[in-house]
Amino acid sequence: MAESVISLQDVTRYYLMGEFVVKALDGVSLDIKRGEFTAIMGPSGSGKSTMMNLIGCLDTPTSGYIDIDGENTAGMTEAELAYIRNQKVGFVFQQFNLLGKLTALENVITPLLYGGVSVRERKRLAMNALERVGLADRMLHRPNELSGGQKQRVAIARALVNNPTILLADEPTGALDTKTGNQIMELFEELNSEGRTVILVTHDRDLGMRCHRQIHLRDGRVEV
Amino acid sequence: MILENIKLAFNAMRGSKMRTALSLLGIVIGVASVVAILTIGDSASKSITDSIAIGGLDMITIYPSSGQRSNGTFDEAFGDMLSRDVEGIETVLPQNNSTVRVRNGKESKSVSVAGVLSSYGDALNLEYNDGSFFNAMDNINRRQVVVLGSTVAKDLFPSQLAVGQYVSLFRNQAKSYLVVGVLEPKDATFSLSYDNTIFIPYNTYAQRFIRTTGVGAYVVKIAEGYDTIAVSDQVTEYLDDIVGTDGYSLFSPASLAEMANQITGTFSSFLAMIAAISLLVGGIGIMNIMLVSVAERTKEIGIRKALGASPNVIRGQFLVEALTLTLLGGLLGIALGSLLSFAVTNMLDWSLHLSYASFILAMGFSMFVGIFFGWYPAMKASRLDPIEALNYE
Repeated sequence: MAESVISLQDVTRYYLMGEFVVKALDGVSLDIKRGEFTAIMGPSGSGKSTMMNLIGCLDTPTSGYIDIDGENTAGMTEAELAYIRNQKVGFVFQQFNLLGKLTALENVITPLLYGGVSVRERKRLAMNALERVGLADRMLHRPNELSGGQKQRVAIARALVNNPTILLADEPTGALDTKTGNQIMELFEELNSEGRTVILVTHDRDLGMRCHRQIHLRDGRVEV
Repeated sequence: MILENIKLAFNAMRGSKMRTALSLLGIVIGVASVVAILTIGDSASKSITDSIAIGGLDMITIYPSSGQRSNGTFDEAFGDMLSRDVEGIETVLPQNNSTVRVRNGKESKSVSVAGVLSSYGDALNLEYNDGSFFNAMDNINRRQVVVLGSTVAKDLFPSQLAVGQYVSLFRNQAKSYLVVGVLEPKDATFSLSYDNTIFIPYNTYAQRFIRTTGVGAYVVKIAEGYDTIAVSDQVTEYLDDIVGTDGYSLFSPASLAEMANQITGTFSSFLAMIAAISLLVGGIGIMNIMLVSVAERTKEIGIRKALGASPNVIRGQFLVEALTLTLLGGLLGIALGSLLSFAVTNMLDWSLHLSYASFILAMGFSMFVGIFFGWYPAMKASRLDPIEALNYE
């Protein structure tokens, strides 16, 4: 049996909304193994986004433990969490979140900048990643010169470039038409078949069912 | 990383040219005024020094006070005594002065007459339009010969050569003096207007022209390799011992130049300090644009944090941006300030002395302003919550 790359133990995340406590996640425990293709599903307000933020180390739990690739993230400083995000997690967002003033290549290079990779190596790795997603010929274009599908491919290349432990995609096809969305989904399937751990956050049932494993959330808890 | 940050900074500036230009203006004006004030101050003190130095920075003049002139201390031998007792003196030239009427035919004018030794001409590097200075024999024999300053010669002999002619000097009665030399025009010093002076032998003056045993003034030439101010301090000490502080007065162009330098230096430092305040105001402009920039780029900061930028990295990015802004402002300010200094010194006919110290000072101050006023916005950026920043539209 493959090792866990993500392990949540009794994780809660509470927000204070005025005088009310909102339990976005309320005691969630789960393991995700290396090489799995998992969908985290549920209606809006179910805690999907909170879970994604916690797994991606953009947020810290109110209580409970989260291990990423064997490292306990509890009590980590901002800088240590930034390092985990940089090295272990590749984010893909619904709205692409590319840096508009940079070219595709520069966008893909950005995580390498924060990873302390040498100048020459940066360019080589970034070009490889862009080739991998089929955008070798668009490297010097800026985001506003690319189609939605192309932007998402750049974002995926950027997520891949540091060779992270997990790919974390939040509604990656949500802003794309069906055909393009399908192509992006195929790209994720390909990446998974190459051995990458992929986590897809979505409210779309059909998309979720294409993954190998589904985790359903409702009101901050995992539905069995 | 720094290079990327500088590139990002220029990207940001290009994105909002007008706003950047306006914010930079504060720094540019501040730096330009500091540079201009210090440079103009330097040029002013240099030109004051130059005008004082015309009299020769290696010269000091001693004037015995009137009570001391005939008590036997300040006689012709005093010069020998002084150069023997104080080190660093090349020569001491005694001199007597008075004002007199001089006439050639119908032309006459009032001039200053100086009784000097024959070595005076060489010691003061006098140049001759015609003829030469009188010689030692003229002095020993108390000959009635005269060397004319250029204006005197021009006025008395408008249409003929003066050398070889006679002029009349009035002192109780008119006496004829043979013109042996005419000087080239020479810039006046604080103590003597060469062009309006005539020179006669020392002995002729003291024994025939106005009988006196005293000496009106001593021109002291400092030997090469000695510091004029140091030697004149020693002379002061020496004279204080002999005749007391009231017994003489001493005039040293070098000391005067130093004093003038100190005054202009203090004055321009003071003005530069006021100008530096405008730099501070410029810094507040930088802080303002940086705060706006951080607010506008909240989403970008969120994305960068998601990609693994630590708080330090984000802070660094915005600090470098603030520094790039202020250093750019500093460079523009130095250019503008130099231009301004050039215009002003050109107008006042001074020679331009670019104050490189002020360049370094201005750049250092700009950097300080960049770090000081960039710090808060950069801290603010680095502390943004990643999720909130990512969701910011």
